[in-house]
Amino acid sequence: MHSAYGIPVTWYLAVSAALFCLGLFGMMVRRSAIGMLLSIELMLNAANINLVAFGSYLKLPTIAGQVFAIFVITLAAAEAAVGLAIVINIYRLEQHIDADKITAMKG
Amino acid sequence: MQVLGYEITGYQIAFAIAAGVTLGAAAMVVLVPNVLRAALFLGLSLFATAGLYVLMNAPFLAAVQVMIYVGAITTMIILAVFLSHRVMKIGFFQAIYNPVLAAGAAGVMFLFLFITVVNSLWVKAIVAKGPANSDVGVESVANALLQPYVFPFELASVVLLAVLVGAVVIAKEDTESA
Repeated sequence: MHSAYGIPVTWYLAVSAALFCLGLFGMMVRRSAIGMLLSIELMLNAANINLVAFGSYLKLPTIAGQVFAIFVITLAAAEAAVGLAIVINIYRLEQHIDADKITAMKG
Repeated sequence: MQVLGYEITGYQIAFAIAAGVTLGAAAMVVLVPNVLRAALFLGLSLFATAGLYVLMNAPFLAAVQVMIYVGAITTMIILAVFLSHRVMKIGFFQAIYNPVLAAGAAGVMFLFLFITVVNSLWVKAIVAKGPANSDVGVESVANALLQPYVFPFELASVVLLAVLVGAVVIAKEDTESA
């Protein structure tokens, strides 16, 4: 019931780790709030790759990995919608979305 | 196929292409100063990830990925960029803040994760040599969503409704105080 493609699961886990760290890097360096949202999407995507890889590569394979990934995609869409609405609102207030300079909440 | 004494399968070549495009485009997402281009590279990275899902025998998830991530989320982000950025040429160091320090931190994190993944004994103990090729199509996903996971499924629809209303309320122009 397992097909041998010659791709061990550690390859997927390594790709996922690299993707997560790229997202982490982007989260730290970006000034624009939308750039930070893009980095969050990258990190969520890395988590999805891990979920699907384990769901598919387990000795007793489970569909739960794919189902969890679908929930993560749903919540990523929700997060992007609310985040972008906030970004647009902040842009209307301050004419920029530089995360270091936003002071509307006295942060 | 033999390359330099190693046996290389077509799946491995496909994996290399998909993983390379995913990581290359992701690197462009975090390094390109122009946020609109970064959003387009995000779409490319997510699309290549769908290729990885196909290689993991998850074709339905690959379709979901292309439809929702590439089709909907990227479009939404690009629209938000249009609404919130003045068109201008922006330099690398105007858009990227303190890249050396951040690269060091992310690199340490990657080394930690990579060494953990490669050396972990429990991963080797519980995983098989290849992905499962049992019926993992749309039918089994639907059965899982509507039988054991029906409560989170319904909860997700409530969350989406709340997000729909919340996003409209937040993004709506405040006409009363203006």
